Amino acid sequence: MDYGIHLLILICIYTILAQGLNIPFGVGHLFNLAHVAVYAVGAYTTALFSTELGIGFWGCIYSSMAIAGLFSLFIGGISLKLSHDYFAIGTIAFSSVISALLINWKSVTRGVLGIPGIPRPELFGIDFYENSNFLVLVAVAMVIVQFVLYVFLRNSYGRTLRAQSEYEQGALSLAKNTVRARTVSFLISSCAAGLAGSFYAYYINYIDPSSFSLVEMIFVLTIVVVGKPGSFWGITASTAFLVLLPEPLRFIDIPPSILGPMRQMLYSLILFGVVWWKKETLFPVERTV
Amino acid sequence: MDILPQLLVNALISGSIYALASSGLAIVYGLLRILNFAHGHLMMVGAYLFFFAHVQSGLNLFLSSIVTIVLTIVVAFASLKIFVLPFTRFSFFLVFVTTLALSTIFESAISMIFGVNVKSLSIGYELTSYEVFGIYITPVQILIIASALVLLGLLGFVIHCTSFGRRVRALSECQHGAQALGVGVDRTNYFIFTAGALFAAYAGILVGFETNIQPTMGNAYTIKAFAAMILGGLGNVWGTIAGSYILGLIENLSIGLDFGSYSIPAGYKDAFAFAIILLVLLFRPQGLFKKATRSA
Repeated sequence: MDYGIHLLILICIYTILAQGLNIPFGVGHLFNLAHVAVYAVGAYTTALFSTELGIGFWGCIYSSMAIAGLFSLFIGGISLKLSHDYFAIGTIAFSSVISALLINWKSVTRGVLGIPGIPRPELFGIDFYENSNFLVLVAVAMVIVQFVLYVFLRNSYGRTLRAQSEYEQGALSLAKNTVRARTVSFLISSCAAGLAGSFYAYYINYIDPSSFSLVEMIFVLTIVVVGKPGSFWGITASTAFLVLLPEPLRFIDIPPSILGPMRQMLYSLILFGVVWWKKETLFPVERTV
Repeated sequence: MDILPQLLVNALISGSIYALASSGLAIVYGLLRILNFAHGHLMMVGAYLFFFAHVQSGLNLFLSSIVTIVLTIVVAFASLKIFVLPFTRFSFFLVFVTTLALSTIFESAISMIFGVNVKSLSIGYELTSYEVFGIYITPVQILIIASALVLLGLLGFVIHCTSFGRRVRALSECQHGAQALGVGVDRTNYFIFTAGALFAAYAGILVGFETNIQPTMGNAYTIKAFAAMILGGLGNVWGTIAGSYILGLIENLSIGLDFGSYSIPAGYKDAFAFAIILLVLLFRPQGLFKKATRSA
């Protein structure tokens, strides 16, 4: 039972993270590979604020989202100057700078040792050290995030974002503000990533740089690609599917040193298989006149 | 106490490794317009194949080189055929995603077969360093500098003085025009991709002799090769090679020179490549060396 609750909590956290990436990557076709770096920023913000400064739950959640949002402005700035493959390289470089900082800025982040002992929140007199209570908290957050993103995708920002991904000149000529739509999309996606990071830090109680590597980015990318970029319910379904998929491997007798690479291999093979299978329709070529 | 000459030699050594690793990436970008995210992993795979042949199977240097070359050619062929060429007709996203997947497939396969521990290729060799004018240098480092010069010279000769090189240049300038005049696209692509993989594998083997290898080294070298390519201008081969040496110089000087209390800790060495990418992309996206391109 405890194990099932653990998996459900992970599904909720990853849904928030993947739905966040779906906005710029799936809908806007902006290949943002810095999403996990922003997630790391959210997690470290919560970890540092709650252990060093003793700030409570609401303060940590909001400041994680705010600081992650600040980073999104930088990513948005990159996206204004660069397009396509340049933007992908730029975001990879950005996320590598963040992970280099996490590893090397030892006086703040404690380097590869990580930050232990992040206290679970205590709200309304309920003890969230109980995993089932924590599940309710994360599930509520997930529903709120899903609702906000659903509304965002269906109002004018979402439509403009979709339009600029297909044919930017066309969207501009209809007086759509594509710059604003992109910036807002990065802002919302980063806030979601910061929130997911914050919950991750609260749930695991311990974070270190290895949880936010490129491997993690590929996992989130796999979720979005498998769930069909740009769809809404598909992402939620594929998160549940992909988080649960490697779990049976735990019950087979495999040494742990093989298990990690095997999980990685499974995800990258699925990612490649889906891209191979759906290569014509996954990302339509941009429309040209 | 003057460490500047030693730093310059170190810069030359790491620049040579980056140049070998990134030149293949630059030519492939010029031909196929793809960013191969698995390029650094090809380097890692080549080094591990050599480790398998030389250290684990105990073959001598010559035989194990041949085994490594053959296996690297097979790996490069398969990567291009399965992971790149079927997707180039579609959105550029696809190749980026498939090569990202390929890079983790390489990394996890190597970790499963050889384990995640650090390995060294120089077991059984006695490497004494020479001292020339106060500069310490090992035979491996001399080999790195010399063979980079020879191989890059060979590359220059092939690209600028042979009919094959003329075809490569024609294809990277305008694919459809070259195709209309009878240049075989697929054959050239396979040849260039394989040659790039061999250069990368050789660089990986040199890294294995100079320091050590591990399955996670691929990403760092991919990003450094990207940094060199962005410094030199995307697809510009000579610019990329120059960018590699500049990158080596910046890394070694920034870490080695003493700025008093503002000295930069050695852990940040890798971060420079990433910061360079961002700065160059934001302020001079065409690269330091502008390439005269023709477009139809």
